[in-house]
Amino acid sequence: MAGYYDNGVHIENLCAVNPKDILIAYGPTKLLVDKYHWHSPKVGVVASYTPKAHDVEDHFGVFRGVDQIEAFVQATAGSLATFLECEKNGWAPTDMKDKLVPSFIGIGTVNFVSYLEEGDTFVMLGKTTYYKFKQMVCEGRIFKAPKGLDLDDYFKNFAEERLFKYDLGPEFTLVSALFDITGRAIDRSYFNR
Amino acid sequence: MERQEVIDGLIEVLKTVRMIDPERLVGVTEETDFMKDLTVPSSELINIVAKVEQKFDIEFEDDDIDGLGSQVKDVVDLILKVKARG
Repeated sequence: MAGYYDNGVHIENLCAVNPKDILIAYGPTKLLVDKYHWHSPKVGVVASYTPKAHDVEDHFGVFRGVDQIEAFVQATAGSLATFLECEKNGWAPTDMKDKLVPSFIGIGTVNFVSYLEEGDTFVMLGKTTYYKFKQMVCEGRIFKAPKGLDLDDYFKNFAEERLFKYDLGPEFTLVSALFDITGRAIDRSYFNR
Repeated sequence: MERQEVIDGLIEVLKTVRMIDPERLVGVTEETDFMKDLTVPSSELINIVAKVEQKFDIEFEDDDIDGLGSQVKDVVDLILKVKARG
């Protein structure tokens, strides 16, 4: 059976999940994913975030590039690997929190071509390029979304083929391209050595 | 399988890793540390382990890798353990 159970609720894919319920290690000011809009468990994900006032504080109103990377790893490796580990082990994310620590361990190339300000909703299209031994490598794109667009509706019929081509309408603006974003779930006991 | 045979096979694997300067592979011992001595990024260690599986025709479990140290002897011990496990 695909997915996992959380408090008796069958979670078939991330679209049914509030990000805070799977990225549970992140506090409210550090969680940089608002919603998942499309998910294929072994393939990839589409998620969105809208920078808040605290995200752009002391940075001339602009959402930092480094926070784009952080948002992307949360939306991709962090979320996707947690989902798969819960599915594999029959855990809920709260069970996993006691055993594994999601860790950000590597970045390849990141190219920024535009920017995001407070209130600019952006979508993260991420695909898994490697997953083994709890280590996941992802790559993808971040696009600024048009104001007022219903993203759930826009992505309801999205497909893997479109993800692979980053196939979005011209109303989306490319912000960044990210490669080899790598996360690994590390045994909690490692941090107690 | 003898330990030296495993080390030799491991060095063959390491020669295929683009991030490792071949000169650093001269004089590799069981105490050699992948990260400190061979400057392998931690993210690359999993790729090396995956190549080791192919080289030695073995399959590691996730739990095998969780506690894996970063020295050559740690990988040699694991290969021999998994070989013995059959």
